[in-house]
Amino acid sequence: MTPDSVFHNFAVTNTSHSLEAYRARGGYQALEKALTKLAPSDVEREVTQSGLRGRGGANFPVGAKWSFVNKKSPVVYLCCNADEGEPGTFKDRWILEHTPHQLIEGMLIAAYALNVRHAFIYIRGEFDLPLRRLQSALEEARTARLVGEQILGSSFACDILVHRGAGAYVCGEESSLLNSLEGRKGYPRNKPPFPAVRGLYQAPTVVNNVETLSDVPWIIARGGAAYAALGNKANPGTRLFGISGHVKKPAVYERPTGYPLKRIIFEDAGGILGDKPLKAVIPGGSSTPVLTAQEIENITLDAASLQQAGSMLGSGGIIVIAEGTCMVRVLHVLTRFYSHESCGQCTPCREGTAWMNDIVERIGSGKGVRADLENLQNIPAGISGNTLCALGDAASMPVVSFLKKFRPEFEYFIEHGRSLHEGRLEA
Amino acid sequence: MKITINNRSIEAREGERLIDAALRHGIEIPHFCYHPHLPVSGNCRMCLVKVENVPKLMPACNMHVAANLKVDTAAPEVARARQMVMQFLMLNHPVDCGICDKAGECRLQDYEFEYGVPRSRSLEPKHRKRKLHVLSERIQLDNERCILCSRCVRFTREVSKSNMLGIVERGGHAMVDRATASVDDAYSDNVIGLCPTGALLSTDFLYKSRSWFLEPVRSVCTGCARGCSVEVWRRKKEWQMRLLGEERNRSAYRITALPNPEVNGPWICNKGFDLHKVMARERVSSAQVGGVPASVDQAVDRAKNMLAEANSPAAMVSAQASNEELDAFAALAKALGPRLRIYVREDCHAAPGEVVEDNLLIKADKNPNSFGVRERFGSTRLDAAAASQHDLILIWGEWQESVDLGAATVIHLTAFAAAGPQKPGVLIPLSTLFERSGTFSNFEGKHNRFDAVFAKPEFAQHATDLFARLAP
Amino acid sequence: MSSLQQKFEELSRTYPPQMRPSLVLPLLQHLQEEKGFLTSDDALAVADCTGVPPVQALEVLSWYTMLYRKPVGRHVIKVCHNITCSLRGAERMVNHLQRKLGVKPGETTADGRFTLLTVECLASCGAAPSMQIDNTHHDGLSEARIDRILEGIT
Repeated sequence: MTPDSVFHNFAVTNTSHSLEAYRARGGYQALEKALTKLAPSDVEREVTQSGLRGRGGANFPVGAKWSFVNKKSPVVYLCCNADEGEPGTFKDRWILEHTPHQLIEGMLIAAYALNVRHAFIYIRGEFDLPLRRLQSALEEARTARLVGEQILGSSFACDILVHRGAGAYVCGEESSLLNSLEGRKGYPRNKPPFPAVRGLYQAPTVVNNVETLSDVPWIIARGGAAYAALGNKANPGTRLFGISGHVKKPAVYERPTGYPLKRIIFEDAGGILGDKPLKAVIPGGSSTPVLTAQEIENITLDAASLQQAGSMLGSGGIIVIAEGTCMVRVLHVLTRFYSHESCGQCTPCREGTAWMNDIVERIGSGKGVRADLENLQNIPAGISGNTLCALGDAASMPVVSFLKKFRPEFEYFIEHGRSLHEGRLEA
Repeated sequence: MKITINNRSIEAREGERLIDAALRHGIEIPHFCYHPHLPVSGNCRMCLVKVENVPKLMPACNMHVAANLKVDTAAPEVARARQMVMQFLMLNHPVDCGICDKAGECRLQDYEFEYGVPRSRSLEPKHRKRKLHVLSERIQLDNERCILCSRCVRFTREVSKSNMLGIVERGGHAMVDRATASVDDAYSDNVIGLCPTGALLSTDFLYKSRSWFLEPVRSVCTGCARGCSVEVWRRKKEWQMRLLGEERNRSAYRITALPNPEVNGPWICNKGFDLHKVMARERVSSAQVGGVPASVDQAVDRAKNMLAEANSPAAMVSAQASNEELDAFAALAKALGPRLRIYVREDCHAAPGEVVEDNLLIKADKNPNSFGVRERFGSTRLDAAAASQHDLILIWGEWQESVDLGAATVIHLTAFAAAGPQKPGVLIPLSTLFERSGTFSNFEGKHNRFDAVFAKPEFAQHATDLFARLAP
Repeated sequence: MSSLQQKFEELSRTYPPQMRPSLVLPLLQHLQEEKGFLTSDDALAVADCTGVPPVQALEVLSWYTMLYRKPVGRHVIKVCHNITCSLRGAERMVNHLQRKLGVKPGETTADGRFTLLTVECLASCGAAPSMQIDNTHHDGLSEARIDRILEGIT
């Protein structure tokens, strides 16, 4: 690790994920420090001081979440949310493929702070290489007595178990994840109670994202204050921003929070394919409101700036769209996604996502009518804020924002029965 | 503690849910999935209300009261949310009202009128699902009508614990289904009353009547010693029409559970739902003397003489009798003197395959008033040895026994024509549960009253009158 | 001992003892690895093993996209058609596979070799368009790359 980088501070090779390589770059020293020099409450204090917020998309202060747990409960669980599924997001994959031990170390330190004996990693059922690398890393860790009984010779014990999902985006929602882990459908739960109070099998449980937990070793090694000094003051640190779509160099880039959005698109990612003009950016995964090229002029990648612009930091998955793309067809891809992933439990999402998809699909097939646009405005208003979990809001925001920013394209499609941009999706 | 709802200060109890606190004070917050006796689901989203200092609307079913809680159920955004929930529910709901039994007592219908919009705003064809499906012999399931509130699933999971029902498939394809054909549930029919739409309907009652032609009469199930409160549904007087004929004007169309916190809570078992079938069995339609049809007066006179002349008469008391009838018999017994030996029994027993006893409602004693009998007459039972000592045995109630009654002459008082003891010397038809009123004492001694649903037919006698006439 | 029973015992040793119900999904996934697809009898067998109500295992079987309830080809090709992959040519890839295999998404080739499916985001957007064949992930696709990949499959 380096003073200003938590992740992208080593050369990625086909062995850089190994225990040996991880140790060579300082790995597991933070764990040792925690177990030998810090009390569990010290660990929590550092994390709270760091200002670290959840990296899964909800952006909730991590120290606060940990503080809700009654550590004296007979059982406390830790679940790593590796169910990365927010479209446009592929950073947790990077961590699992290239530095899985960093996640393991982070989980162990968190487990120490929370008094956890059994920790779980709920991972995308689809994951191939990330799963294999994670499993081999755990093998290495167990053999090296970093996981299991008497870790690093201390009295601390913790087992980490990998549990695969089976194709449901909603299982990335923490309470849905817990129900799935308990052997049921991934229906989200009513909150309150929150998982930190009643979670896995009704025991206090912390669910944290892969990147969140992987930030913890750096924070313990260098101190919470040092992390808080990185990036944007209000939500500090670095983030793994994944940028994809119509850019020349789609990839994961680690940047401090507050980094200019324009810079990451035009410098780091090399600008738009074919040097076409930029049309739109979805800044934080498909559930965040879309922004036009003009709107991103002064936006920085932190919660406040994006909120002010009417969008969200989300999962850090930046999707870039070039001029000439048909936004009606793009929206259809998303409405199809959300209606497919709706778990079916609550009324507004179950019926509303299907309804919105039916309408957008019909418009996109040339059979739209004027009344559709009114419905596409009213339906999200009836879903947003009224559902049992945030999937309803996630499904609503693209519809609202696409219609708001690109209304003329929808009107054209309805008026003429065809796309303004020949139905183009590729750049 | 004090909370405020719509600017009104009301008293709320510690640990109470907002939706219940409101209802206690006459403020109805509309809801589908919530039920006070089922775990909270919070999925219908109909009960969303505005809470001060909270940016989102909150479900009243999942909110416990707290001091100084300020709630607004009349705000425009609450009305809008309810309207949207109704629109979403009605989006694919088939407008089956014209052919659906639930019409008139359907929560979805009621709320649509009160909270919905007059016309659907959808331009899409409705999504179709499985319709008119035989869920079980007793229940019809229509997945299109179902609003997936999950009350039925929660009932079979948490109350009857049969786990007979679940919700399969994801998203808009979700549908209630039965686990397997072999998983059954002795309480399954409760889901029919729980269902807020016409998705779950009683097969027995299917298409028999519109709900608004009927009215309920309170009664008590005689299937076991629990004595659950039930409602017997008969045609309202103003809807009885000559062209319907005697049978349809004067029949019990269906049985529903009558919530009774003291006895059965909100539920009854399937045997209770079948009570009307028990009362519709073939009747003894004429008195008999010596196996030959006779008038009631003739039969009563003959029986009275037999009782007066017998050397060692005995009587077997019915555990299906009401307390009032048992008192009338006690008076007769007193008048007849200590010569008369009184025996008790359970008239009815469990049929093969019937649940004997469980942890929910069902008791092993399949009679409603063994307690009342025991209170008054003790617990001596008749066996063959005892029977051989009597020259006359009066049997009151149904005869399911196989005790050898020897050479005794039998007077049989019963309503139903099911097989009786050897040819009785006198047979007198009685009125049924539906044709009289009274009280039973259940296994815990709790009194429960039942009212008459119909007038008794000419040929039947009320036991209370009969015993008075039989006294010397 | 049946393979289900064997897997159950193996997993029981790794999960905490009070977490038997958690084995429902891994056991269904294990059976599917062997059989290609699952029937309700499989769900009932898993329910029996894990002690959950039969209806729960049946619900799980019906709810997760990666569990198949109809026979599939020897290989299942899953092409992502979500947003970034669409922006980078997913439609072209699907059309190519449709032409090449002679089936539409959701269908299986007549010779039983391939089932073609479209799926949602595989979390590899940086290398879009992406697909998976069985458990193997392929990204950075082009028509030519797809041809090469398929050639390598028996």
